Amino acid sequence: MKNSTLVFRSLAIVIFIAGIAHLFTYASQKAENKSNISGEEVIAKTPVSKTKNNIYTNENTNNIIGQWKVTYDSNDYKGSIIYEIKKEGKVINAYTIEYQDENGYGQKADRTKTLIIKSFDGQKGKGVYMVDYENEKYDVKCDIAMVDENTFKLRYDYYGHSNMETWKRR
Amino acid sequence: MIEFLSKKLQWVDVDYWFYLFNDLSLVYIIIPFFALELIRYAYQKRLNKNLVLDSIANVITFGAFFVIEIILGILAITKLYFWIYNNFSLPHLELNWATIITCVLLADFAYYWEHRMMHRIGIGWATHTVHHSSPHFNMSVAYRFGPFDAILPIVFSLPMVMLGFDPILVLLSEVFVQVFQTLLHTEIIGKLTKPVEFIFNTPSHHRVHHGANRQYWDKNYAGILIIWDRMLGTFEPEKEKVVYGISEPLNSINPIKVFFHGIVRFLRKQKQIKGLKNKLLAFIKPPDWMPKAQVKTKRE
Repeated sequence: MKNSTLVFRSLAIVIFIAGIAHLFTYASQKAENKSNISGEEVIAKTPVSKTKNNIYTNENTNNIIGQWKVTYDSNDYKGSIIYEIKKEGKVINAYTIEYQDENGYGQKADRTKTLIIKSFDGQKGKGVYMVDYENEKYDVKCDIAMVDENTFKLRYDYYGHSNMETWKRR
Repeated sequence: MIEFLSKKLQWVDVDYWFYLFNDLSLVYIIIPFFALELIRYAYQKRLNKNLVLDSIANVITFGAFFVIEIILGILAITKLYFWIYNNFSLPHLELNWATIITCVLLADFAYYWEHRMMHRIGIGWATHTVHHSSPHFNMSVAYRFGPFDAILPIVFSLPMVMLGFDPILVLLSEVFVQVFQTLLHTEIIGKLTKPVEFIFNTPSHHRVHHGANRQYWDKNYAGILIIWDRMLGTFEPEKEKVVYGISEPLNSINPIKVFFHGIVRFLRKQKQIKGLKNKLLAFIKPPDWMPKAQVKTKRE
């Protein structure tokens, strides 16, 4: 077979296969952008109701339910941790489900309870955060504040140190 | 279908699926199948000391190859791949089924070309001849590797990273292509149904590839899909009974001799070749190439 035929056929194969991959990624990202915009409109119109434990059970509080990613860059840990926030009865708990290294490659975690949200009104809340510090576990009070439906800030103090984590929806 | 193919996947799941096939297949397919092959050899009264020691030598060469691969990987390869990915690639592809399937297809196509180069250039054959040098054909031969077998693939997989595929996905796909071929190194399975034989690489096609029969030389380079050979003019069906090995038999079961014999032969050839330019050309010319002047002199 002529070299030019070999080159032409090989290039055609590579372009065809890689093109399909890029087409699917492009289509998927376009669909995702469309659904994010329509989600924001629904949340803005949802009414609020109050319960005994100050956890408002409506679509706004349900926005904190789901999987969240927090990126860390410290001497103790560089990478991300994935948490799953679930409503269990009248309490909202967060569990560690995955550890990711700096390149995004994950390892399943053992679903340790890491955060208990004791009060939350859809925008602000308070809870107890289980922090590891120098190989000891501490239950530390924390404040939660929604930035938008895909981001919230978690702030806590221990031993005079203040720390703020940004939780992003996965 | 499109929704399924473009649904975002999680790395932890993808990693697990590749682990099930790439790593665990040794336990649930390869070792049991090799045991079956040994039973077949014994039944046919072909199980002898040479065959057993050849199989042990194969596994030892794999160990040596693996160490070289790990060292290369830690030192340079992963860093190089990620540097290219972060600086010289098309938009990064999302992790979904379409990306995984196309990555495996491209890894298979890259393997075709890398394998073709290993047969058709001097330095490629110097390492790849190790794999073909066994006079036997069984699953242990799949693990018979040469010292530089991990290097040429880099040249062919870097373009995949440049096309936007995640480096780890590219590496996992390449291992998948290699592990698939482990299953082809057998005489137990004859020809499969026509549609399978038309599309996929099969034990029959791979026996041809390992043949020392003249018409079988440099044929059927495929990894998973034989269609690459059909499209690029290197396909040959299995007709005549295959004689395994290389044109100049090695006749050794010493794992060190086996592992290095390709390089030793290449260096011996380098000594025979006159002139620096010709010595360098020998690296990239076909394995049987000699400078014209020296061939003429030999004839005279």
